[in-house]
Amino acid sequence: MPGYAELVAAAEPARLRLEAHDRPRLAVAVDTSTIAIGARATLAALREAVAARGLDADVIAVGGNGLSFAGPTIALALPPSTGSGQAPGARVLYQRVEAESAADFVAAVLERGELDNAWLLGALSGAEGLRRMDDHPWWAIQERRLMGDMGLIDPESIDDAIARGAYAGLERALGMTPEEVIAEVTGSKLLGRSGSFFPTGRKWDFLRTSAATPKAMVCNADEGDPGAWVNRMTMESDPHALIEGMAIGGWACGAERGYVYIRDEYPLAVERMEAAVEQARERGLLGDSVLGRDFAFDLKVVRGAGSYVCGEESGLIASIEDARGMPKLRPPFPAASGVFGQGSNVNNVGSYHSATWIMRHGVEKYVEVGTERNPGTMLFTLSGQVQRVGCFELPFGTKARAVYEQCGGGAPAGRSFKALQPGGPLLGVLPEFVLDLAIEPEAFREGGAIGLGGGGFVFLDDSACVVDLCAQFEWFIEDESCGRCTTCHGGTQRMVEILRRIQRGGGRQSDVGKFRLIADTLRYSNCFHGQFAPSVIVNALDWFTEELNEHIYGRRCPTQVCKGLVRYEIAGQDGDLAKAADYCPTAAISLRDDAYVIDDALCVRCDACREIAPAAVRIVDRFEAGLGPAPEPVSVQPAER
Amino acid sequence: MTSFRGSGDVNEAALEVTALLDGLAPGEGDLLEALHRVQYRYGYVPAAAIGAVSRKLRLPEARVYGALTFYSEFRLTPPPETLVSWCSGPACYIKGGENVRLVLERLLGCAMGESSADNRLGLHLGQCNGTCDNAPQVWVDGEVVGPLTAATTVDLARRLKSATSL
Repeated sequence: MPGYAELVAAAEPARLRLEAHDRPRLAVAVDTSTIAIGARATLAALREAVAARGLDADVIAVGGNGLSFAGPTIALALPPSTGSGQAPGARVLYQRVEAESAADFVAAVLERGELDNAWLLGALSGAEGLRRMDDHPWWAIQERRLMGDMGLIDPESIDDAIARGAYAGLERALGMTPEEVIAEVTGSKLLGRSGSFFPTGRKWDFLRTSAATPKAMVCNADEGDPGAWVNRMTMESDPHALIEGMAIGGWACGAERGYVYIRDEYPLAVERMEAAVEQARERGLLGDSVLGRDFAFDLKVVRGAGSYVCGEESGLIASIEDARGMPKLRPPFPAASGVFGQGSNVNNVGSYHSATWIMRHGVEKYVEVGTERNPGTMLFTLSGQVQRVGCFELPFGTKARAVYEQCGGGAPAGRSFKALQPGGPLLGVLPEFVLDLAIEPEAFREGGAIGLGGGGFVFLDDSACVVDLCAQFEWFIEDESCGRCTTCHGGTQRMVEILRRIQRGGGRQSDVGKFRLIADTLRYSNCFHGQFAPSVIVNALDWFTEELNEHIYGRRCPTQVCKGLVRYEIAGQDGDLAKAADYCPTAAISLRDDAYVIDDALCVRCDACREIAPAAVRIVDRFEAGLGPAPEPVSVQPAER
Repeated sequence: MTSFRGSGDVNEAALEVTALLDGLAPGEGDLLEALHRVQYRYGYVPAAAIGAVSRKLRLPEARVYGALTFYSEFRLTPPPETLVSWCSGPACYIKGGENVRLVLERLLGCAMGESSADNRLGLHLGQCNGTCDNAPQVWVDGEVVGPLTAATTVDLARRLKSATSL
């Protein structure tokens, strides 16, 4: 099997392609986020435009760069050699290049040399006089280490990855003893990136010293928390960084097998990981003799099938073991008995990826950013009611306010901040004070949050209703409960029933006490799913008290979101009402004696009419209008029309 | 043998399930892969395939059936001609996803998790995959459609209905 030097030599053409190319290159970021907004169509249209004009340029696909809000993005790289226009070696990012405008874009950039144009996002390097990415608020705040090659390399090319330093960390680790590797990871103070923030080095040492054989490294790539896609970014844009981290862990722990458990909702991540594993095997980076050393390690990609609790490590292990993904009681912990009884280590994608960076660059470099107790960086995703959506990398210690205002651009026009929902439905919802917290697990916990979570940040503005969010989250948690603990499946079901009754105007004085009782009981569930199930409702009781009480006692929803607490009525006869009536999915709007009326019994409050005829339709509080409690919602019936 | 799935042996031969399971082995964590392969081939997991999977992986049929019904992406019935998956994630939800669901349930002629009587259109509970820039969204046979509003969902649902009733 070839050694590391041979692999680097074989990747030389890829290095030249990346760093010393002799003609312009247009790189389209293609991942699940950008495919959704037409990146593949843009790629095809660019290729067609370049070919049709007979231009001497390359058009390639690369991994995602996290800039969802600006996609499809194109990175222009001009050749470093001179004689090719005014900006040798420049790298410039362009945004929102749709397939329809691809030909115009090619004409502007490649034919006329207009680097400063309508699509310009910012220059990454070179190109004097152009707006810089370093001045873009989204970009300036980041420390792009783990994401350094995302959006630069082709994730389907192992040579691209090796040319950028992939597997140098594994080569270095294999030259060290397992104890030395673990000491270095421990010295980095790396904490598990799943949201549990357990020290990775200690976990590796558990498995290294475990008597169980054989041993296995398991990667939790289930990332079921809605609003988080950091693991998907790594797998779709730099898959070899994950394989390398797992092999490093395998060497340190004495494991010879690895399992990457990827959720079914990430088909492109599965495809790119499987291709990367196959390429790594061909190059001797996985197999009987990794990098020519006396070390056998191989990986298997396991595709989930739609289950949130499989993100809990014992549920994930059960799912790999040909079974329903039901979490188990611990002990035994995975290091003593994990996948098929093997001693196992379960880490999140981000933990392995961070270990890769530590071994490639050394612990001294790793601790240069971040804080004393949390050196290094972590990937986060931003979504919800903000101006900019995407994935980015921050050093620990950054203030949440900076994430919201600089990365996210703050609330949509005319709106203001209401709450942050970090790390998925189990980690609750936090009011204004969260903006002053530093992004660190300890700071979040000390500040009153359940935790920081695995990277997802969903921001809410003042148009959102916390009670409605509670109902949605508790329903999600109930739906995804494995069913083993009655506290969990019964407790969440009961909370959903009470919340939905409150949302229909049937709040009772005893409801707050019931929520507290159920929340206390849920803490005795066996796994995190049940234990953290009441987080959002406890947060609502503590921090959104006024809003919750207004629902229960006032029987109003201040934001007019809860369907059972509002009704729609005609505010004035208007020319748009005919169209609104046509759009009503339940035919609730009709013409009666030359005037449009809304039949409240048919109305499902979908808001289509108000969207079409905003001046003619208004939402009113049922209780302000003195109408008394709302009736039970009508059952789902297909419309006749 | 009597079971909930009736006499499956003849159907199973017709289904060629065993050939689909080539290369899979007991104790290797291959159950989900086996079921994915069957579903990829037929669009759902026919009850008759349970026996073949159970023999190949040396698992009790109850365990195969248990997994089939535990995971939300496996289907036991043929899929609709067009499947609309509604994203249930929080970014979609707070941006009006509930309105999208209300419209779809009324106009497609089926509730969440069900299909229309003629099986032309179905509605599936989708999970967030991080394309939140398009919130609120649905996936029509896997293709993202979004951001949607209640009114544009009415347009979409009517287009889907007329396209499939041709």
